[in-house]
Order: sequence, then structure tokens, then C-alpha cells
Amino acid sequence: MLIDIKDLFKIYNEGKESEVRALDGIDLQIDRGEFVSIIGQSGSGKSTLMNILGCLDIPTYGDYHLDGTDVTELSDRQLAHIRNKQIGFIFQGYNLIPALSARENVELPLIYQGIGIDERHERSEAALERVAMFDRSSHKPSEMSGGQQQRVAIARAIATHPSIIMADEPTGALDSKTGRHVLEILHGLHEDGTTIILITHDNGIAATAERIVRLSDGKIVSDGTREEVGL
Amino acid sequence: MNISQAVKMAAKSISSNKGRSFLTMLGIIIGLAAVIILVTYAEGQNLAMKAYYESMGTNTITVSAYSWGMGSSNVGQQLYDYCLGMEDVAGVAPNGYGGSRMTISYEAKTLSRQRNYGGMVSVSGGAYYGGGSDDHYPQIRLSNDKFGMCNDYKIAKGREFSYLEIQNLAQVCILGADTAEYLFSFADPIDKVITVNGLPFRVIGVYQSKGAGLNLGTAEESQWIEEDIKRQDRLLLLPSSMTRYFNNNQAIEDYTVKVKSADAVTKVVTELNGFLSNIINTNYGGFYVDNPQQWQENQNEANELQQRFLGGIAAISLLVGGIGIMNIMLVTVTERTREIGIRKAIGAERRSIIVQFLIEAAMICGIGGILGIAVGYIGTMIVSKLSFGLVMIPGSAITAGAFIISVALGIIFGMYPAIKASALQPVEALRAD
Repeated sequence: MLIDIKDLFKIYNEGKESEVRALDGIDLQIDRGEFVSIIGQSGSGKSTLMNILGCLDIPTYGDYHLDGTDVTELSDRQLAHIRNKQIGFIFQGYNLIPALSARENVELPLIYQGIGIDERHERSEAALERVAMFDRSSHKPSEMSGGQQQRVAIARAIATHPSIIMADEPTGALDSKTGRHVLEILHGLHEDGTTIILITHDNGIAATAERIVRLSDGKIVSDGTREEVGL
Repeated sequence: MNISQAVKMAAKSISSNKGRSFLTMLGIIIGLAAVIILVTYAEGQNLAMKAYYESMGTNTITVSAYSWGMGSSNVGQQLYDYCLGMEDVAGVAPNGYGGSRMTISYEAKTLSRQRNYGGMVSVSGGAYYGGGSDDHYPQIRLSNDKFGMCNDYKIAKGREFSYLEIQNLAQVCILGADTAEYLFSFADPIDKVITVNGLPFRVIGVYQSKGAGLNLGTAEESQWIEEDIKRQDRLLLLPSSMTRYFNNNQAIEDYTVKVKSADAVTKVVTELNGFLSNIINTNYGGFYVDNPQQWQENQNEANELQQRFLGGIAAISLLVGGIGIMNIMLVTVTERTREIGIRKAIGAERRSIIVQFLIEAAMICGIGGILGIAVGYIGTMIVSKLSFGLVMIPGSAITAGAFIISVALGIIFGMYPAIKASALQPVEALRAD
């Protein structure tokens, strides 16, 4: 079991009139090598779930074991290491650092791992090659289209060889053709054995996954294959 | 992440925000240059003042004593005799002043002064009286063979009076540098005869300029020093016995007493006060003993205060520069919150973020510090050339100190925003625009 979540809550302004239960008692298990779509309306809690799964945020209550480790017990520093080594993020807004070139963006997590310059270059080249962006290595984000930026973001996510890729609406800001290309890359990574968690509000995109988890008002309302959840 | 990568990253961040980085540096550049220039300026001013005091003569006391009425004897003569007997006194010179209407002539050149109504004075030979440098009319002093020694005038040509010349009413005179130049231009004045109110006087000596060897330049303060030097160089010295001819034989009341060592000045002042209070009945006279050393000490104190004041202003400007850095670093953190979120999301530890921001701040301050030193050096050279007429180089201690302070300020003021930035939860930082 790669991800094991039990009775997870994320509550904002708890006990106040403005209390919001973004996650309201979630149980979720994901195995290594799965391709899971998490789907739901805006405000259903899917992004909050991804933030907690990705160790970007901490739950209010509940257990979260990642690869057997109780994440809720970890220090800031240990969480940074998990984000660095185990997880690769792909965001809707790409989240590249504007001052850095494509290659420098891809190498940044490797720098935080303390990897030497030669290996860094090798791995960033391979990652950019994989998303067909090698010829744009020296370009800054402002010199690239949205689709190109997202491919660089994917290269950054895979450069560290993480066991999980978390993609939050990765095609949300892209036209359908570019979006399809990004999905193809994700499926390619899945075929190589990487666990993929894809957050989307788009049924069509969610339907490409082998397992679909539907969230509504912070609760899981369905969990199964495309046929089982009725997509 | 190691330090060399952090340095590279900081350099990248600085170079990708050139405008903002420069504005931040500007605070440090101005602060540092101000410290260097002001401190060196204050030092230069002290040097100029010290040189001036030394030119005025050290270890001298001026004494005035007078009396009138029944039974009053010549207290000046008694004072003179008393001083000669004091073991700490090197010499005594009377300081008699010639009458107000004198005409001094040599061949075609004449120096004279007449009172007009309203107290205005007209001068032939100069354009008009205004206290300006065109007024060559000298001060006419009546003194003895010790005048030069007591008043720190040095003979440039010829010699001082002799004792016998004083006693015998010899018609000889000594000229100050300015007066000699005005009357004789390039000719040798020695043994030439000038007339003072028609009486012939043979020039036996010329004094050096009081400004010889002094470097004063054009600062406001050194301007009045220069004026004062010119005033002192406009001198016609006659034997003190000439008071008989020029001053209705009035007793000379002012004396300059030269003391052998600085340590003895206070003692001599005390003794003179004691002696004069014994011989002068204050109902029929008075006396005054002036201790210029005290005045000089007061001046030194004032200079030190001024130096501290300038240093304080400079320190404040450096502090303001530091606060500017903190301000910019805070803005930077706010502006780059998203970037910090991204860095944390892909695995940056809190320490890495702090180190990155600190190195950035230290680099900005370091570069600003080097530029500030350059501006400070150039500024000091220009200011010192304009103010004192000499090119001064700031001391290495003040330069190194100011540089260290500027980098330390960067680290201290960079610390707060760096800590603030690193404490953000990644998800909160990522939400920022």
C-alpha cells in the first residue's frame, strides 16, 4: 500500500460560525502503480485532498501513511525530503520560477537533493527529452507557450524519479490538443510504473484513468472503475 | 543544497531584478559613502585647526594691566619686570599699538587710514575698506626684541630688534610678510628707509608669513583662518620705546608672555593673577590674564563634539540604508511568496530558503558596500581637495569598519524577512499571486 488514509479531516475555522469542512472523513487507499483520477465539482475538496496527499498541507485530524510512514508525525524537514524525493507535482498554473531557464527549473529539485552538476545535467536532459522540450532548455518560462511550460513542469516532476506524480488540473489551462499531449505523457509515465494521481473536474479526462474517485462536499461519494462510477 | 549553489542562486536572483537590486544598494552606497566622507572631513578639519593653533603660537599668555589716578605707577613696567624674574617664563613682549592715524610711505607707495563719519575707513593703496583682503593697512605694533619669540613670528630676512635699539629709541622697524610685499614688491626691504608719520625708520627685518607651511584650502572655517593669517601678516613692528612718539607716551598695557613648557602655563597664569591683584587696586585700575590653552582645549572639545555629531549623522544614514534593505527584502518576500511556495513544494528545506535570502541580502550589501567605498573615496578626494586644498585618502580602519557594518546590516536586516518567508506552509505560499 503506497497511500493509506483513514478518517481524514481538514476543517477551516473549526468551532466558529464560518467553519468549513473541506475534507469530512476521507478513507482512501492507493496502491503502487495505480492511475487514479480524483474528480469533483469546484469546492468539493479535491485540491485540499491533493495538497495533503502531497505533504503541502497538514490535515486537521486523521491518519496518513505514505509508503508505511506516518506523515502526520513528521517534521518540516522530513516533509521537505518526502516532497523532494517521493513526489512530483504538476500544477494547473505550471508554477515554474520565472527567473530560471527551463533546464534550471528542472534541475532545482535535484539541487535540493544535493546532486552534483554532471548528474544533474544528465537527468535534466533526459527529463526534457522525454517531454520533447530539450531544444528549449535555455528558454525562460515567459518565452514559452502554456503547453511548453507544462511540459517543462512535467520534466521537473519526473527528473527526481518520484514514486508518485500528483497532477492538479494539469490540462486546465491548455487547449484540448495540448491537453491530450500532456495526458499521453502521464500515461507513458504510468506505463513505466509511476503512480499517478490526477485531479480534475473534467469527466472526459478523468475517464482516461483506470480508477476514478469522486468527491462531493469533502466526502468520497464513489470509487471504482469508469464503469463502476458511471462515466 | 550547498553554499556555492546558494551563492549562484542569489546572484541569479539579483541579476534578474537589476532595478530593484540597485535601488536597495543605493541606500548602502549613500550610507557608506557618507560615513567615509564625513569622518575623513572631520579629521581633515581637526588637522587644519591644529595646524592653525600651532601657527598662533603655543604656551603663550596675554596679560593686560592698567591703573590710573593718584599714586599709580606704571603697572606695565612692574609686570614686565616681574615676568622676567619668573623661572617658567621664556620671554615677555609688550604689545603696544600705534595711534589710529598713521601714514606709512616708501617712495611712491603710501599706506594710510583716516576716519570718516559712520566709522568707515578709507584706504589709499587699497580699493576701499570693507574688511576684505584689499586692505593692506598694517597693524602697527610697539614691542621689543622678544616679539617674534612670544608671538611666533619667524624672521625671513634680516633680524629682530636688539635690546640696545629698544633702549636707545633707534628708528628701526620690522615688517610683516604682506606689508613688505606691498611696499617693496620684489625688492629687498632690508636697510631701506620708510617713513612713519614723516619719521624715517630703517627696515632691519621681515617676518615669514604666518601661513607658511599651513594647508587650509577653501572651507568656510579655513577662510576665516586665512583672513586671520593675512591680518597677522599685515604688520609694522616698531620698538616699544616709540610709544613716546606715536602714542602720547601712554603706558603699554598689553603683554604677551611666553611660557617655557605647556605644563607650566596654568602655574604662570595663577602666579600672574596673584601678583597683579597685589599691585593693582581695582578701584583705580584692572587686569586680565588670558589663558589661550584653555580656549584651545574648549575648541578641541567643540571639534570632538562636531566629529561625533558628523559620525552620528553618518551612522544614521547607514542605519536608514539597512532599514531600506529590510524593507526591500520584505517586499521581495511578499513578491516572491509564490516562488518560495514552489521551492518548498519541490523539496526546499526551511534552512535552504533562509540561506538563499541571507546570501542575497549579504551580496546586495557587499556589492553596495564596495560601490559605496568607491564613491566614498572619490567623494573624500573631491571634498578634501575643495575644503583643505589637499587630497585626503580615507583611513583603512574606517573603510574596513564601514564595509563590515554594511554587510552585517544586510545579514541582520535580511534575517527577519528570510525567517518569515521560510515559515510559510507550502500550500499557503503557492496560493499567493
